[in-house]
Amino acid sequence: MDEVLRSLNRFGPELILTAALLLVVLVDASGAGARNALNRLLTGLGLLAALVACPPLARPEAAGAIFSGMLQVDAMGVFFKVLLLASSLLLLLSFTFKNSRELFGLGQGEFYALLLALTLSNLLLAAANDTVMLYLSLEMVSLTSYVMVAYMKGDRKSNEASLKYVLFGAVSTGVMVYGLSLLFGLTGSTEFGKIREALFLGVSDQNRFAAYAIVLFVFAGFAFKTAVAPLHFWCPDVYEGAPTPVTALLSVAPKAAGFAVMLRFFFGSLSSPMNGPLDLVGTLDWPAMLMVISILTMTVGNVAALSQTNMKRLLAYSSIAHAGFILMGVVSLSETGARGMMVYLLAYLFMNLGAFLVVTLIHREDGTFDLRDYAGLVRRSPFLTFAMSVFVLSLVGIPPLVGYLGKLYVFAAAIEKGLYWLALAGALNAALGAYYDFRILKTMMVEEGDPAKLSFDLPLVDKAWLVVFMIANVAPILLWGTIDGWTRSSLPLLAAR
Amino acid sequence: MNAFAVVFWALAALTVGSAAVVVLARSLIYSAFALLFTFMGVAGLYLLLGADFLATTQLLVYVGGILVLLLFGVMLTHKLYDLDLRSEVTQFAPGLVIAAGLFGLLTLTALRTEWATTGGGRAPAPTTNQIGELFMGRFLMPFEAASILLLVALMGAAMIVRRKKDA
Amino acid sequence: MIGLPHYLIVSAALFSLGTLGVLTRRNSVNVLMGLELILNSANLNLVAFSRYGSGGMTGQLFAVFVIVIAAAEVAVALAIVLTLYRLKRTSNLDEADILRG
Repeated sequence: MDEVLRSLNRFGPELILTAALLLVVLVDASGAGARNALNRLLTGLGLLAALVACPPLARPEAAGAIFSGMLQVDAMGVFFKVLLLASSLLLLLSFTFKNSRELFGLGQGEFYALLLALTLSNLLLAAANDTVMLYLSLEMVSLTSYVMVAYMKGDRKSNEASLKYVLFGAVSTGVMVYGLSLLFGLTGSTEFGKIREALFLGVSDQNRFAAYAIVLFVFAGFAFKTAVAPLHFWCPDVYEGAPTPVTALLSVAPKAAGFAVMLRFFFGSLSSPMNGPLDLVGTLDWPAMLMVISILTMTVGNVAALSQTNMKRLLAYSSIAHAGFILMGVVSLSETGARGMMVYLLAYLFMNLGAFLVVTLIHREDGTFDLRDYAGLVRRSPFLTFAMSVFVLSLVGIPPLVGYLGKLYVFAAAIEKGLYWLALAGALNAALGAYYDFRILKTMMVEEGDPAKLSFDLPLVDKAWLVVFMIANVAPILLWGTIDGWTRSSLPLLAAR
Repeated sequence: MNAFAVVFWALAALTVGSAAVVVLARSLIYSAFALLFTFMGVAGLYLLLGADFLATTQLLVYVGGILVLLLFGVMLTHKLYDLDLRSEVTQFAPGLVIAAGLFGLLTLTALRTEWATTGGGRAPAPTTNQIGELFMGRFLMPFEAASILLLVALMGAAMIVRRKKDA
Repeated sequence: MIGLPHYLIVSAALFSLGTLGVLTRRNSVNVLMGLELILNSANLNLVAFSRYGSGGMTGQLFAVFVIVIAAAEVAVALAIVLTLYRLKRTSNLDEADILRG
């Protein structure tokens, strides 16, 4: 009982989100006239309150495992909590039911409830410290996503996408839980820390095969969630079929949560800090495996994106490629690698939300997601073109934009560890990514558009949000020191065990 | 061969045999009913392993809930007068190779690996008490999180299936 | 003497059969059945390790959660299958082909 009370003290953000979720459900069920506006307000306030409740958790005194080792509270966790809450809040504020042609007219109450549930699940996932919690929160995130993707239930494409998503995801996590069951058998425990202790003394040759098989099976679940090859197949279809605001959120938040828990699992139970730099537990060389996957992911994502004309599919493949880059941070088993991952995910949040907002606005105006219809956009809406250019250049990784910062860290981590082939593959892929990213710019600015299409002006609100995202893409380079310090101080995770 | 072994082999045969029917049967209804036997076989195996609470939960939730839901799914997605509830199979051979390979690898793993058995495991005993205590103790967080999960699943499934246009 | 390996092999068989079902079946409900086989095999592992291994009751608790999640998943999946069926009159995955690539 004491344990529970003490844990609740450090569970603020999640409790706030749960309360908000229940309130939204009740308000929606009440059928009151103003319930949509009220729910939107409740959701926004809930997310904001949860965000405000996060920083106190970053103090060293607050760190530790809560709820009998199920969740871990630490500074790195707070980084991810803030990131996840911010992404949901930004989504809520910038993508509205009015500026999305797809969501217009659909029920709003459930959307807000699902948004809160997804955010709550993301927070739990990013803090998971036990395989039971890992599986449970992973499935919570997945289930909420499945439902959100199926939101446009009258639309056939959306339903097909969510069906493929469900089946693919359920099987991937089913394989993962089989791996987790074997891990339980091998180590006799489900807590990450205890698993590490059990494997610490070395994995005997007899057990080595089982250990590698377990890593592969468990990685299936992670690979699915973060859309990493070879389990990325669901990504383009789901991104295309889901309503764009949902796609925007899915590309950022569950991915970040998935990477956070991947970090906790791989760094926390399959490696140990020995005299500083992390070392492999039981000489299980999983980074080698992940390196192959990272290169494969980057390449597959970039190559497939080259031929895409549907903007949502293109951004989906781009998303897959970026996941490959982020994986480089995990492969470089080091503090720099972890920090690289965190910075990249932060950068990715702003780049991607911005890009998807532009896509949504263009869809509202023209009703198309086809890149070829973006031709001549510079003449019709220079502001939108400029905004998209900022986001695209950031995705490519051009300094001084935030995308560059992310890539810098992961490349630095790889080179620092001597993984030159990985860095080379990454560099080639970055160049490949530049090709289709610049093609977007070329289409918008250089190509002749349809003269019959008129110029259009954006509502002030949308312009304001685009400005916010643009600033978010540019400002971090100026705040580099702050960000660096923030991520550096967020990593006692590895030492506090 | 003592009685325990006989029962084990019978249940194992039931489970694996009906699982094969689930996967290979042409008719969807046959698969669904074979799945029933698989679930029952697994519940029996749980009993042999001393997990009485889990066996009951398996029967209640899997057979009584999930299987019934699957049967509804089967029934509602086929015109009732069209009793040709066939399910086509694509590219059977590669799948078979992969599955057979997996079985071989996993069996090898199961036999070769030294699983963590120091401390001897637990003798079969009624488990409900302990499970209850653990739910309120160590597993409180997943327990509560699961309730949110079920809320979302409930809301989500209802929202997706609801026919009327909402405002 | 029946011991741990016996149960592990049974669950390996279930897992393989489930994978076979998932890979080769075209009907979504059949794929769901394959998925249930996979989840049951994992549960069998967990309970077997709980009995014979050093993990204690944790295995059985984990299994309970897997059952709960399986139920929720099937509910949502079938809701989507039903909606798709209403729109298109088929639950064959091969005919779900609007999304290419």
